[in-house]
Amino acid sequence: MTTMSVRPGSRQGPAFAFVAPALLLLVIFFLLPVAALLLRSVTEPELGLQNYRELFATSTYTRVFLNTFLVAGITTLVTLLIGYPVAWLLAVLPQRTAMLIFGIILLSMWTNLLARTYAWMVLLQRTGVINKTLMQWGLISEPLPLVNNLTGIIIGMVYIMLPFIILPLHASMRAIDPAILQAAALCGAGRWQSFIRVLLPLSASGATAGALMVFVMSLGYFVTPALLGGASNMMLAGMIAQLIQSLLDWGLGGAAALVLLAVTLALYGLQIRLVGNAFTEGR
Amino acid sequence: MLKRILLAAALTASLSMTARAADQMVFTAWGGTTQEAQKKAFADTFTAQSGVEVLQDGPTDYGKLKAMVESGNVTWDVVDVEMDFAIAAAKAGLLEPIDFAVVDKSKIDPRFVADHFVGSFYYSFVIGYNKDVLKETPQNWADLFDMEKFPGKRTFYKWSAPGALEIALLADGVAPDKLYPLDLDRAFKKLDTIKKDILWWGSGAESQQFLASGEAPIGMFWNGRIFAIQQEGGNVDTAWGQNLTAADVLVIPKGSKKKDIAMKFLANATSADVQAELSKLTTLSPINVESKGKMDAAAVAALPDSHTEGQINLNMEYWAEHRDEIAKRWYDWQSQ
Repeated sequence: MTTMSVRPGSRQGPAFAFVAPALLLLVIFFLLPVAALLLRSVTEPELGLQNYRELFATSTYTRVFLNTFLVAGITTLVTLLIGYPVAWLLAVLPQRTAMLIFGIILLSMWTNLLARTYAWMVLLQRTGVINKTLMQWGLISEPLPLVNNLTGIIIGMVYIMLPFIILPLHASMRAIDPAILQAAALCGAGRWQSFIRVLLPLSASGATAGALMVFVMSLGYFVTPALLGGASNMMLAGMIAQLIQSLLDWGLGGAAALVLLAVTLALYGLQIRLVGNAFTEGR
Repeated sequence: MLKRILLAAALTASLSMTARAADQMVFTAWGGTTQEAQKKAFADTFTAQSGVEVLQDGPTDYGKLKAMVESGNVTWDVVDVEMDFAIAAAKAGLLEPIDFAVVDKSKIDPRFVADHFVGSFYYSFVIGYNKDVLKETPQNWADLFDMEKFPGKRTFYKWSAPGALEIALLADGVAPDKLYPLDLDRAFKKLDTIKKDILWWGSGAESQQFLASGEAPIGMFWNGRIFAIQQEGGNVDTAWGQNLTAADVLVIPKGSKKKDIAMKFLANATSADVQAELSKLTTLSPINVESKGKMDAAAVAALPDSHTEGQINLNMEYWAEHRDEIAKRWYDWQSQ
């Protein structure tokens, strides 16, 4: 065993031995099958790049790509807008109240994703609670189209992604010394100014980390767009499922999967760079 | 002494029970009320008769089926699939040939049996409508495109499959005998006129939810699903005008390790009594020609078989041949 002959002082060897079973599991049950699928993108129906050519030359597929980025982008933006005040509130509220709100946010994460998405369907549909109530109050005469379209997807996605932006934002805000904000106020900064010039830059690392995470996770989302979106709101994951399940076109499905993987990895790399830098700068 | 004999008998009985329990097979279908009925009619009777335990799986997934066959790791022994898929899959070498020494072919409606599949049931696409919401009574497919007489959302089958395109063409005035080959341009143009008002159902349960809740008070449905809503007290009804027949068939994926058991399962599933039972439970039509003789008049009246006036058979051979090209165009149009 090479791991046993590691010199004292070097921790890498034994640490690796502990990780090895998990890694092995990942390689056998995840990496190899994924690699096999990706390989088919250049071997099916024949050797070559024809699947990638078809993917980028067909307007349906490019539209799905654009739509995927659009949905991920809007979701990220809206979660940021909602997440900022919530995270700030959590940072300034008394500990007990903050813990309570935290509990509610985390509780939603522990509930089954499918159950949460179905709940939104029930709430948002034309005959759903929201539309019925608004119509009873006479605020609208026709039900609002809240589901089976882009609105439905965004509502569902924002709801699911919120904790992923609130947690890192909260962490970076907690690290801010309140005295800095007091100092800003003493120097004559208004609320808005101290937000823009003090709070925003200081919490930027948390915001970047959260936003990137939400964006990357949104890119690959399947259940929520499938249930809350319409046929014209298809996203990449849905398209891959369709190519493989109903068209049995594993080559093209594999190609789409590789593109998704490449984009995700690139963004992940960006995240490590940006957030890594932000952390070292902060220290 | 008597005690000892009893004990021995109990022991042998329990031993043979465990030996039998080792006999298992997996039946896969589309889930929901239909699979529950199939479990009762096909699987439970088969278990009672042979002792083979039938595990239920689902929903049917063609990608999974193909992956199993290709990897040689087939865990589904009998699968309920759409007939046009079965024809195409047989050509692609994904299915085991049926052993007609075990399965009695002579009693199966010849429309629903071939070398690689036997019928599971046949059904019709019909108009379903919610009587709480709609004032008028729809008659035929053209009514699905009449937004004034039948306002609100309409629901259509989401996946590329025989049905919706034919509906559009019939509604546009194409004669039933002139449907094939399908005029796709014309069909999509007709569908465009109501596209923004279509809610797509991807599963039978979803279609029921849309109709029963009034989310979409009218649409195209599998006839059995409307019946199921009525059973639960929903105020919905069926318009049988121009009903379109299609079939589900049972197949054995190539490489199934329980092939012999699966053949016996098919023999049981296609027998007259079992088919009659399934039809009673679901109002889906039996594929065994003797089954209707075993059902009472009321049960027969609810079947697509009793609504042959104006009935149109969807052309599965045409679909098997053009499945992929139509599918690409369908999803392309749908996503626009």
